Amino acid sequence: MTTSPTRIQVNPSVPGDGRPDYIRIQDYGFWYGAKKALDAITLDIPERQVTAFIGPSGCGKSTLLRNLNRMNDLIDAVRHEGDITVGGRSIYDPTVEVISLRRRVGMVFQKSNPFPKSIYENVVYSLRVAGVSDRDILDETCESSLRRAALWDEVKDRLQDSALGLSGGQMQRLCIARAIANQPEILLMDEPCSALDPIATGKIEELIHHLKAQFTIVIVTHSMQQAARVSDRTAFFYLGKLVEADRTEKIFMNPAQSQTEAYISGRFG
Amino acid sequence: MDTKETSGIRRHEVNPRTLAIDRWMARLINVGGVGVIAAVLGMLVFLVAQVVPLFRGAELEELPSAQLPAGVAALVVDEYGELPCAVMPDGELRFHRLDGSLAKSWRPDLPGRSVTAVRAYPRDGIVLMGLDDGSVAEVKVGHRSRFEAAGARVVEADPALASVLPIVPGAALESVHHVRGPAGRVVLVRHASPAGARLVAVKVAERRALGGKVRSTPSAPAAVGAGLAGVVGEVLMANGERILAVLADGQAVVFADADGSYPEVQRFRPFPDSPGARPTSLGLVLGDVTVVLGSDQGHEEAWSLYPQRQADGSEVRAFGRIHVNEALGGRADGFAPSPVNKCYVASSRGSLEIRHMTTGTVRWSGPPVESFLAGFLSKNHDQMGVLESSGRLRRWKVDDHHPDGGWRAFFAPIWYEGGTGPEHAWQSSSGNDEFEPKLSLIPLIYGTLKGTLYAMVFALPVALLAAVYVSQFLRPELKRVIKPTMEIMASLPSVVLGFLAGLWLAPLVDGHLVALLLAVLALPTTALVFGTAWSRLPLAARRRIPPGWEFAALVPLLAVSVGAAWLAAPSVEAALFSVRDPGTGQMVADFREWWRLATGMSYDARNSVVVGFVMGFAVIPVIFTIAEDALSNVPPALTSGSLALGASRWQTVWRVVVPTAMAGIFSAVMIGFGRAVGETMIVVMATGNTPVMELNPFSGMRTLSANIAVELPEAPVGHTHYRALFLGACCLFLMTFVLNTAAEVLRQRLRERYKVV
Ligand SMILES: Nc1ncnc2c1ncn2[C@@H]1O[C@H](COP(=O)(O)OP(=O)(O)OP(=O)(O)O)[C@@H](O)[C@H]1O
Ligand SMILES: [Mg+2]
Repeated sequence: MTTSPTRIQVNPSVPGDGRPDYIRIQDYGFWYGAKKALDAITLDIPERQVTAFIGPSGCGKSTLLRNLNRMNDLIDAVRHEGDITVGGRSIYDPTVEVISLRRRVGMVFQKSNPFPKSIYENVVYSLRVAGVSDRDILDETCESSLRRAALWDEVKDRLQDSALGLSGGQMQRLCIARAIANQPEILLMDEPCSALDPIATGKIEELIHHLKAQFTIVIVTHSMQQAARVSDRTAFFYLGKLVEADRTEKIFMNPAQSQTEAYISGRFG
Repeated sequence: MDTKETSGIRRHEVNPRTLAIDRWMARLINVGGVGVIAAVLGMLVFLVAQVVPLFRGAELEELPSAQLPAGVAALVVDEYGELPCAVMPDGELRFHRLDGSLAKSWRPDLPGRSVTAVRAYPRDGIVLMGLDDGSVAEVKVGHRSRFEAAGARVVEADPALASVLPIVPGAALESVHHVRGPAGRVVLVRHASPAGARLVAVKVAERRALGGKVRSTPSAPAAVGAGLAGVVGEVLMANGERILAVLADGQAVVFADADGSYPEVQRFRPFPDSPGARPTSLGLVLGDVTVVLGSDQGHEEAWSLYPQRQADGSEVRAFGRIHVNEALGGRADGFAPSPVNKCYVASSRGSLEIRHMTTGTVRWSGPPVESFLAGFLSKNHDQMGVLESSGRLRRWKVDDHHPDGGWRAFFAPIWYEGGTGPEHAWQSSSGNDEFEPKLSLIPLIYGTLKGTLYAMVFALPVALLAAVYVSQFLRPELKRVIKPTMEIMASLPSVVLGFLAGLWLAPLVDGHLVALLLAVLALPTTALVFGTAWSRLPLAARRRIPPGWEFAALVPLLAVSVGAAWLAAPSVEAALFSVRDPGTGQMVADFREWWRLATGMSYDARNSVVVGFVMGFAVIPVIFTIAEDALSNVPPALTSGSLALGASRWQTVWRVVVPTAMAGIFSAVMIGFGRAVGETMIVVMATGNTPVMELNPFSGMRTLSANIAVELPEAPVGHTHYRALFLGACCLFLMTFVLNTAAEVLRQRLRERYKVV
C-alpha cells in the first residue's frame, strides 16, 4: 500500500458535507499495458450521496468507476498504483475476495446487459449465485427490487418472459433492479441513461433520487443537466486527472478551475 | 466520372466497375449455390437408384407355351429352356422343341425289365429310374449347347445310361432318390409291402477306375426305420445323413444315418398350429437341409436341420420349424426348387407363386395353373416353367435380380439355415458356393452407433471442458497457441490416427490395460481433488500463482498420478483380476482372462475402447474448436454483468456463458457426432471389423462406413451385395440427415431462447 505523504484535498473545506468518507481513492494511477489511463487520482466519496463523474470522452471516468469494484482485473496487462479503500479497507487487500467486494459494490453498465433468461431470473441472479433457493425470499426480493427500480407495474404479469423482450429503457431499469437486489452498499452507474429517451431518463433519475437514501451512488454522465439534477457532489476529470471535485452547486455555479468552467459551459473540446 | 462539388468536398459516385463486379459475383454465387444443391440431390438420386431394385418383387411375363405329350412322369429342362426333356413313365426320354415338334426320342437299354418309378434331378441333369426287379438305373440326360458360326445357339441332347444297381431284389420300386455327397452316393427307394410302403437305403461307394469308368460297390441295403410302413412321401437330405418321411397320418418321421442303418431319431407333426392340416406338398430347397411343406389348407412351413440342445446337454442336429410363411391360395399341390438360390415355385389351388425360403417373402404371385405336374426355375433365375397334366408346358420370363432382397432381408431378424434362431447377421461372402449371404444392416447400424457412443463418451467431456477452460480461464497468450494447435489436430488425416490406433495403441492398451484404466480414473480424480484443495487454500497462498496459471500447479500432479497408476497397475491387477490358469492351476493376474470369465463377454485386442479413444481424438478438435468459438463469442458485457453481481467465474460460466453459447455448443456436439458416425479409416484399421451386436467395450464392431470401404471394391457391380452396400450408405445418409435436421431445429430453438440483443 502506498500512502501518499502529500494528500491533496481538492476542497478540504467540504469533506462530503460532514458525512463520513466512504470510498477513499488515494494517489491512484492506472495503466492499460503501457498506456496510463489514470494519473494520481485522490478523491473521497461520501456515504449515501450521489457523486457524479463528468469529463470529456476518454478522460478515464469509466476506468476509475470500473476499478472501484475491480472489474478491470479482467483485462489483460493492467497495472495500478496507489490505493482505494472502501469502508476503510483496501480493495486490493490480499485477504479480500473479489467476489465479496463485488457483492458490496454493485454496478450498472452503460449498455444494458440483461442475461438471456427470464425477467425473474435476471433480478434474482445475485441471490441465486449466493446460494439462495428459498422461493419466498426470491419472490419477495424480485418484487421489491423491481418496485424500487420502478419497473414492477410494467412487468409484473410477465416475470417469466425473456428479459430480452423488454424495451431499452426497461432493460436498463431491469439491470438496476438486478444490481440492487442483493443490497449492495455502493452502486456504480456508468452513463445509465445514455441510450434512453427523456421519459425513461426521468424515471431513472427519480429512481436514483430514491436510492440514495440507501446506497452510495457513483454515476458517470455526459449530461451536465443530469449531473446537476441528480448529484450531490461532482468530480470533473480531464485527461486521466481529477481536475476538481466539490459539491455540485459549487462546481456548477462557481468552479475553482477555469477548465471546469469551460467544460461545464460547453466551451470545450 | 460524375462528381459534384459541394462545399469543397468532392462526392465520388460509384464506380461502374464496382457495380459490374457486384452483379457478376452475385451470379457466380448463385451458380455455385445451386450447383452444390444439385450435386447433393444428384448423389441422393444415385444412391436411391442403386437401392430401389433391392425392394422390387419379381416381374414375370408369360411366354408362349409348348406342347409336350400328356402323362409325363418327370421334366428336365436345359439351361436355356429351349429343349425340354419329358421323361415318360415307361422310361422314354422325349426331347421336344418349343414349337412342340419332337427333336429326339431315346430309351435306356434295359432288356427284360420295365420302369416303375422315375425321378428327375434337373440341377444335375440326371434321371433316376426304379425298375420292376428292384434295381435303380441312372440316366444322364446330356443337354449340351453350342454356338454355331452365325452366333445362333443350338441345344442338343445326348442321353446315356450311366449305371444300373440292384437295390431290393425282386421288389417293384415305387419311388427312387439318390444323393452324392463327400462320403459317396446314397440311394433311397420305396417299395410296396403287404403292410404298406417301406423305405430302403443303400450306400454306394464310387471309385473312378483308370479308364474313367466309375466302379460302384453298393453296401448291404438297410431298412429305414426298421421297416416302418405307410410312407407317402420322402426326401433324402444333408448328403444322405437324414431321411425325412411323411406318413399317411400326416406325421413326419426323421431317420438318421448310423453306419448304414437308418434308425428313427425324431418325429414331428407339421402345422402344429392347425391340427387338421395334412401335408400335400413336400420339397427340398437348395442346400438340402430345409424342407418346405405345404398343407391341404394352404399352410406353408419350412423345417430345417439345426443344432438343438438336448435334455442331456449335448447338441444334436434336429428338425425345427424355422418359418411359418404367408398362406398359399389354397391346397398346396406342387413344389419346384431353384437350382441356384433359395427360391422355389409353390403351386396351390388358389395361386402360383415364387417364394424365397430364407426371407419368407412372396416374390411373385399369379393365378393358379390348371394342374401342376412338374415345374422348374432356370439356372440363371430368368425362366420359370410349369408342366400341366395335359402336357402343356407353360413358360414365363422371370425378371428378378435380387431374389434375396426385400425389407426383411436387410432389417428383420432372419432364421438362417443352420442357425439356432432368428438373428441379425452380416456375412456377405464366403468360400463356399452354397453359402447364402447374410445381409442384415442392423449389426452395422449397431456398430456405427456403438463406435460413436464410445467416441463421444470420451470426446464430449474432454472437448467441452477444454473449450470452457480455454475460452474462459486460460491466459490469452496461451490461448493464442492452443487454439491453432487444436485446429491443426482437426486436420490430421484420420488414416494416420487409424494407423496409430491399430499398430501402436491397440497393442499398448492390450499390454497395459489395467494401468490405462487406472490412469483414466486417476486423472479426473486428481483434477477434482486438486480443485477442492485449491479452493480451500488461504487467499494469500492462492495469490502466489497469477490467475490463469493454476494449471501449472496441476499438470505435474497429473503426471504424478499417471505414473502412480502405472506403478500400481500390476498389484491392482493381481489383487482384483486374478484368474486360475487352467494349465498350471496357479493364479495369474490377467485382466483379459478375468473379463472373459467374469462377464462372459469376449475380449479382443482391437476393441471399442481403442476405437473410442482414437476416434475421440479425431472428433475432439472439431468439437473443441466450434464450442470454443461459441463460448468466446458470448458478449463480454454478459460476463462482466454476472461478475459485477458477485458471481464467481465458475458461476458466470455455468449460469451465463454456457447457456448463452448453448446453440453453438450444440452445433459443435452435433458436428462431432456426424464426424464420428461417418468416420471410416480409424474404424477400419482399429477394429476387427466384426459385425457383433453387443455393447461390450472390449469387443470390436463393424460400422456402416467401414463396411462400405472394406467390401465395395470386391462387390460385383449390380449384385445384391453391391446394392446392399449402397443401402448401407443410404442408411448412413439418412442417419446423419435426421440427426442434423433434428439438431438444427433444436439449435434454432436454443438460439431463439438465448439470443443476445
Ligand atoms: N480495455 C482497454 N484497453 C486499453 N485501453 C483502454 C481500455 N479501456 C479504456 N482504455 C483507454 O483508457 C482511456 C480512458 O478510457 P475510459 O473508458 O475510462 O474513458 P471515459 O472517460 O469513460 O470515456 P467515455 O466518456 O467516452 O466513456 C481511454 O483513452 C481509452 O482509450
Ligand atoms: Mg466511459
